[in-house]
Amino acid sequence: MLRTVVAILLAQWVNVQLPNTPRTADGKPDLLAPAPKGANGKPDLTGVWRVADGRYLQNIATDIGEAPFQPWAAALYKQRADALGKGRPSERCIPHGVPDGMLVRNSPFKLVQTSGVLVVLYEEFNHYRQIFSDGRGFPPETNSSWFGYSIGKWEGDTFVAQTVGFNDQSWFDDPGHPHSEQLRVTERFHRLNFGRMEIQITFDDPKAYTKPWSATIPFTLLADTDLIESICENERDHQHMVGAEGVK
Amino acid sequence: MDHGSAESEEGEVTYLAILFVLAQWVNVPLPNIPRTVDGKPNLRAPVSKTADGKPDLTGIWRNPDGRYLDNIAADGVQVPFQPWAQALYKERQENFSKDRPSGRCLPHGIPDAMLVPATPFKLIQTPSVTLILYENQGRYRQVFTDGRGFPTEMQSTWLGYSIGKWEGDTFVVDTKGFNNQTWLDDGGHPHSDAYHAIERFHRRDFGHLDIEITIDDPTAYTRPWKVTIPFEFFADMELMESVCENELDTQHMIGK
Repeated sequence: MLRTVVAILLAQWVNVQLPNTPRTADGKPDLLAPAPKGANGKPDLTGVWRVADGRYLQNIATDIGEAPFQPWAAALYKQRADALGKGRPSERCIPHGVPDGMLVRNSPFKLVQTSGVLVVLYEEFNHYRQIFSDGRGFPPETNSSWFGYSIGKWEGDTFVAQTVGFNDQSWFDDPGHPHSEQLRVTERFHRLNFGRMEIQITFDDPKAYTKPWSATIPFTLLADTDLIESICENERDHQHMVGAEGVK
Repeated sequence: MDHGSAESEEGEVTYLAILFVLAQWVNVPLPNIPRTVDGKPNLRAPVSKTADGKPDLTGIWRNPDGRYLDNIAADGVQVPFQPWAQALYKERQENFSKDRPSGRCLPHGIPDAMLVPATPFKLIQTPSVTLILYENQGRYRQVFTDGRGFPTEMQSTWLGYSIGKWEGDTFVVDTKGFNNQTWLDDGGHPHSDAYHAIERFHRRDFGHLDIEITIDDPTAYTRPWKVTIPFEFFADMELMESVCENELDTQHMIGK
């Protein structure tokens, strides 16, 4: 079933061959070409990206084995994982969070980089995030929100985004790694070459985890295409979701 | 209270909701905003230009006048309905617009996503794409300016597929590929999937943007018709997150 859905989505992406895409002799995108640079000499992260490995959506802690849970967070994670992730926000058309909005393999995301902001356009649910790089700091008070408030700066060739102001409702991944409103996320975007990017994500949430922990996630450029519109209209379908207690 | 309430039919509730929203916007005075001697944004300053000499539309905009959201033809334009479209509009009016998509957390369309006074939108202009970030429901549109044409086969979508070009100082956006589900306004002006929207963005000065919108939809209207809607720069603020979570509230909507 999942395979069918993916195939349908693939069939819908438009083919857009852009002139500034480096190409090999046979006309294919040259994914090994150097990373492009922006006007300020920094790498340009702009492009349509897709997680290279679907395991991270299934478990964001897959690299380290087990996250350093506080006891309540371990219990909540076990409860969610035992229920096969039933009750996760995305089944009610509410956003995936940070980072899991970027981890859905059949829904890529687009980065649009300007001198003042890095915009993340998620194909999924047609949502966006802004990571401000215009010199502003965090507001004195942040409303708690699904995507938080993000500011970024360059450290060498790496764009470092800090995000605070989360609500405690989003999940890090589909099984349900939880977090509290104290969460602070650091994302280090590093474009290795034209076709590959890594994002190292550090979760700092002393209320939910005993120490900060990280995942480094690989992404590949989705060349010659663009996002399609994906509006979540399944708000009436969530009663059909399967949980540990079976179909209701 | 959430943004869904801000679009309520009850005036008092709307007013309270807007005040609540105003209290939450983040104050961000940016260095590139022209200012008068008293430090306030100078909304009459000339339009800034991009590196390629075009007016820069970048900024946060809103129309504070809710009458266009209620009725995009509020300025008195005669709407050249086809009979079925007129009947559908009448039915929606008589039903207090109860079934409008935004009541179920589905997108506002074009143009009405730009017309919600409580939720401004941001334009981010780059050489290859202009982004429209709607505060409302946290959704976006891309207007492509990288030389691409329309895809050979277009999916029906809520927000369509948009291509832009400059005609002098006016940014002209063609959008096609709509479904027939969105409403042109909360009042319920309908369209078909033959809808072709032409939006002409003209920034008059630093603080003022006019958008002329032509509705070309021969299935729903006997001829193209247009409206011009003024927007004001929303200075020293930033969009806030507005995720629609009111899907469980639809049973409280008032209608027939």
